[in-house]
Amino acid sequence: MVQAGSKKSAISKINSKTGISSLIIFVVLLLAWIAGFSSRLFAVIRFESIIHEFDPWFNYRATAYMVKNGFYNFLNWFDERAWYPLGRIVGGTVYPGLMLTSGSIHYILHLLHINVHIRDICVFLAPVFSGLTAISTYFLTKELWSAGAGLFAACFIAIVPGYISRSVAGSYDNEGIAIFALQFTYFLWIKSVKTGSVFWAVAASLSYFYMVSAWGGYVFIINLIPLHVFVLLLMGRFSNRLFTSYTTFYILGLILSMQIPFVGFQPIRTSEHMAASGVFALMFAVGFLKYLQTMMSKSEFKSLVIFGGFVSAGIVFSTVVILTYAGYVAPWSGRFYSLWDTGYAKIHIPIIASVSEHQPTTWFSFFFDLHVLIATFPAGLWYTIKNINDERVFVVLYALSAVYFAGVMVRLMLTLTPVVCILSGIAFSGLLELVLREDDNVRSEDSEEEEQSTPNKRLYDKLPKEAKTKSKSGKSVGKASAPQVAGRVPKIKHEPSKESDGIGPNIRSAVTVVILLLLMLFAVHCTWVTSNAYSSPSIVLASYGSDGSRQILDDFREAYFWLSQNTADDARVMSWWDYGYQIAGMANRTTLVDNNTWNNSHIALVGKAMSSNESAAYEIMTALDVDYVLVIFGGVIGYSGDDINKFLWMVRIAEGEHPKDIRESDYFTEQGEFRIDEEGSPTLLNCLMYKLCYYRFGELKLDYRTPAGFDRTRNAVIGNKDFQLTYLEEAYTTEHWLVRVYRVKKPDEFNRPRIPVANRIIKSPSFVSKKSTKRKKGTIKNKPVVVKGKRLSTKQ
Amino acid sequence: MSTPQNVKREEEEVDEVNSVASVAINDKLVNRNVARTIDLTSQLVKITTSITLENTGKDTVRTFHIVQEPNAVGTLSYISVKDSLKDDLKLERLTDENENKVFYNVNLKQPIGPGRTTTVTLEEVLTQSLLPYPSSITQKEKQLVRYFGNHYFYTPYVTTKQKTEVTLNSRSVESYSKLKPVSQSDSTIAYGPYSNIQPFTEDQMIIHFESNAPFLTVTRLERLIEISHWGNIAVEENIEIRHTGAKLKGPFSRYDYQRDSSSTHHSIKSYRTILPASAHSIYYRDSNGNISTSTVRPRKDYIELELRPRFPLFGGWRSSYTLGYSVPSYQYLFKQPNGEYVLIMRLIDHVFDDMYVEELETSIVLPVGVKNVKIETPYEVERLPDGVTYKYLDTIGRTIITLRKQNLVEQHIQDVEITYNWSTNLLFHEPLLLSIGLFVLFIIVIIYVRLDFSLNKSEHTKRD
Repeated sequence: MVQAGSKKSAISKINSKTGISSLIIFVVLLLAWIAGFSSRLFAVIRFESIIHEFDPWFNYRATAYMVKNGFYNFLNWFDERAWYPLGRIVGGTVYPGLMLTSGSIHYILHLLHINVHIRDICVFLAPVFSGLTAISTYFLTKELWSAGAGLFAACFIAIVPGYISRSVAGSYDNEGIAIFALQFTYFLWIKSVKTGSVFWAVAASLSYFYMVSAWGGYVFIINLIPLHVFVLLLMGRFSNRLFTSYTTFYILGLILSMQIPFVGFQPIRTSEHMAASGVFALMFAVGFLKYLQTMMSKSEFKSLVIFGGFVSAGIVFSTVVILTYAGYVAPWSGRFYSLWDTGYAKIHIPIIASVSEHQPTTWFSFFFDLHVLIATFPAGLWYTIKNINDERVFVVLYALSAVYFAGVMVRLMLTLTPVVCILSGIAFSGLLELVLREDDNVRSEDSEEEEQSTPNKRLYDKLPKEAKTKSKSGKSVGKASAPQVAGRVPKIKHEPSKESDGIGPNIRSAVTVVILLLLMLFAVHCTWVTSNAYSSPSIVLASYGSDGSRQILDDFREAYFWLSQNTADDARVMSWWDYGYQIAGMANRTTLVDNNTWNNSHIALVGKAMSSNESAAYEIMTALDVDYVLVIFGGVIGYSGDDINKFLWMVRIAEGEHPKDIRESDYFTEQGEFRIDEEGSPTLLNCLMYKLCYYRFGELKLDYRTPAGFDRTRNAVIGNKDFQLTYLEEAYTTEHWLVRVYRVKKPDEFNRPRIPVANRIIKSPSFVSKKSTKRKKGTIKNKPVVVKGKRLSTKQ
Repeated sequence: MSTPQNVKREEEEVDEVNSVASVAINDKLVNRNVARTIDLTSQLVKITTSITLENTGKDTVRTFHIVQEPNAVGTLSYISVKDSLKDDLKLERLTDENENKVFYNVNLKQPIGPGRTTTVTLEEVLTQSLLPYPSSITQKEKQLVRYFGNHYFYTPYVTTKQKTEVTLNSRSVESYSKLKPVSQSDSTIAYGPYSNIQPFTEDQMIIHFESNAPFLTVTRLERLIEISHWGNIAVEENIEIRHTGAKLKGPFSRYDYQRDSSSTHHSIKSYRTILPASAHSIYYRDSNGNISTSTVRPRKDYIELELRPRFPLFGGWRSSYTLGYSVPSYQYLFKQPNGEYVLIMRLIDHVFDDMYVEELETSIVLPVGVKNVKIETPYEVERLPDGVTYKYLDTIGRTIITLRKQNLVEQHIQDVEITYNWSTNLLFHEPLLLSIGLFVLFIIVIIYVRLDFSLNKSEHTKRD
């Protein structure tokens, strides 16, 4: 407010320059958008416009269904092709925001008769939204600090790998649009806290509604905003503005969020949402106390506050506890417990722990995903704490909570990234302000024009007045960083010699150069990480030969397409849950379990089938009406994400539900090793998964150096080489053996077991005719028996 | 490929079916000599018959009849008759209601005078006539097929002398019907000569032999041709294929498949499609995206495309894909002196050698606002009701002409000719629309930026 107020006069003076400054902001944001969009296209350029990985396939399938059948049919969609024989109520178990967003884009484009396929909209949705995220980050940072910091933050978020990892073209997932919704909600919330206007609070709750419809991470918002309010109350920063904005936001947000079928009554019935209502009640209590304060003396009031505070806190707390025990409010869900206790999931819910993105974050990935920002963001945090005000409390809380969550779960790195960008933007902006602040108003008149014409000109050395400093440094900084994000880093060349007078020009220029170098390195790192780590569709693999030639391994699509073309339309395919969405999306066949891991016991049943021996597995498979079994086997090409490597999770999940039949220890050797070679445990060597992966692999000789049956992924010769399948037969194996599909035989096909030739008892006809063809050796009747030295016996 | 020169209609059109009570057979005509070649090397049965007709009567003969073998009705895909000058003769299809036979009335260009002879060549292509026997085999077994034919040339006239040569694509013949004189050498079986055969004589010929020819059927081919007067014609073919040879029995073993590198497999790994030489922007994909296993080889006057389906096709397996490309319009779209536009494009194009297409549906999307559409097809096709589609900012729809035909082979690769009136101004319809749209948008932005819409003045300036 103070800044804005002081800025007002300055801006009105240089009215002609506002156009230019807004042009610069516009250009920088546009470039950030373009840079963010284009840096997400690696996968499309290298491969093709295709949906990536696992969850996006479901989202794509759901979107295609919605586009085809309309929104209401989508809401009522019961998917009988998933979770056979249970089915899945898709409309009520999905966040529809993503499908609605791309569906409406599709609708608008088709109104204009631009016949874009829905797949292409889905593929490019996340890159397009990354631009919107950059813009909302700009606005948020502008509200928190200054426009310059905003431009920095926008450029950072456009290319930072931590966000790109979830929003590359083809990664059609909730997070792609949710981060935009998150940032925009926060912006509107800050705006409403600053102004205290109902308008902004309503806008914030509408944006929150969009967020609720898009991602389960909305819980982060509905806990962070009350936390912000609570901390403000503790700091004694209660104001009518805060009261208006929070009460409006909470009530509207609550009602709106309950409109989403998947959320339903959760906002009033689960513990995750209780903090918000508690703060809502507290808000009124504080408001009431403030009102009483005007009527009471100081000492009276003090005792009232202490007494009333304790009583009301006690009442609220005990109400929640009682409601929880009475069953009106659901306790914390397992996923939330695992946020507090990282070991919780591993013990109680192996299915959550089995997902790699639910693992705790390594230090390495902080640097990998955020690079220099991870170092600068504490500086930004320090700046904000030093110049604290209502809205900066928010960003501090945001930063602290996001850091904690990111440390607990790799996946939540995503929520940390925006705040890191904001605070780093503030840090860089503050640093440049410090370094570039000069008192030379000599060049201030013509500086703007020069900036436009000569990009090589010094950009930071003509900021005359205190009031103008912030906005102007922001603009110029933004201008400097814009070309960087566009990938032309070296274009900005700084000659330190041009640095004019002032105290410590050398230090000043050195710091500038270092900052620019850091930013350059950051841009390079971002591009490198995006290109190498986050741009693989994972359903199409590429391997590079020694001569740099690229070979595409398209086995997944080969197998899925085979399934879609050459199996019965209602065929049921059993596979581990990772591949459920892909089978449904690409092969359009019924699956037993998929990535929507809502039914643990069903998954455990599949895990049990995979980890039992063939005949026990056959019983489960007949009980579940399985027609085909699909396994992923990477032993031929050395693909490490295959089913044998995931196998222990199947065993663990199966053990959780069927502890009598499956024991994890059976699958280890006596030394406690998981081995697939001859020393492996016999239970492992005879389980279904092992047999399906290695069926006839023992005969395959990959090259001349290794023996037959050498598994490249696990670098071992398999232990059980020569076996036949009784209840299943190989239906299809892809070119590189990556996907193997087996058909479950019907009872009449195996009920006559094959008897080895040696054991066969063949009834031979007792009478052999002696008068057959000429070739047959003749016999003479009454042939005399000739014994040496004796007379012929017959000769009488 | 297609130049204005071969616009000329080919004369072999089979006209509408005439149903007559009985066909009058001229018994004065005699087949003096009949030489048949039955080509069984591919999945199709190609019968080429050279007939020397003699007029033993006193009147000049202008027409003669050809009759379809009763067991070939329904499988006959293509028939043509050429005279000794290699000119196509006009065929007229007749159905004899009394005898349930299908006759073709052939009009000779040069009539046969009394006592004179003439030689005509009859070419027939039969589909679905090689039946796999046994009908399902395991991966390692060889594919055997049976051909059921007629030892004699089925004709309404007396045949004086006839011989037949059957060409197979392998030496291993399981069995063949032995109507003497018959001889087998290498991969050919020679029947005959037989003499003095009465009209309509039938004697079943059965040949059971090994055939590793690709038995690949295009079960449905949707061809979409889209004309843009900006200079491009986009062609997209949605193709569904099925291996119609002996069905695969039992498991498919990748190990055996990889180890067995001999080419005598009955599975289909890849095939070649030939595209026009000017084709560019070629794509080959299916519902799951690009199929990365294809090679484009430009040849002298065509483009050869080697297509590998995602998986090798065994008997009974299906696959489907989309193949698309663009060609420049100047080779196919011409402006007539009277202002009409003529599009000359193939109704069906090459999919693979010796192809058999069960059903073809060709749709031609004409530009916006065409009038007086006339279609001339090389053979009889079913025309479905016209549709309308909208593309890129269209406000007026585009007409789609849809043509359908069943049972096609390579010989059906012929041009369809579409004539229409179209005004050039319509070309600027969309760009104009777009410019106006952008103009309006900018005007709105300008107005919005220049004028202050806020109720509170100070609030507005603070916002910046």
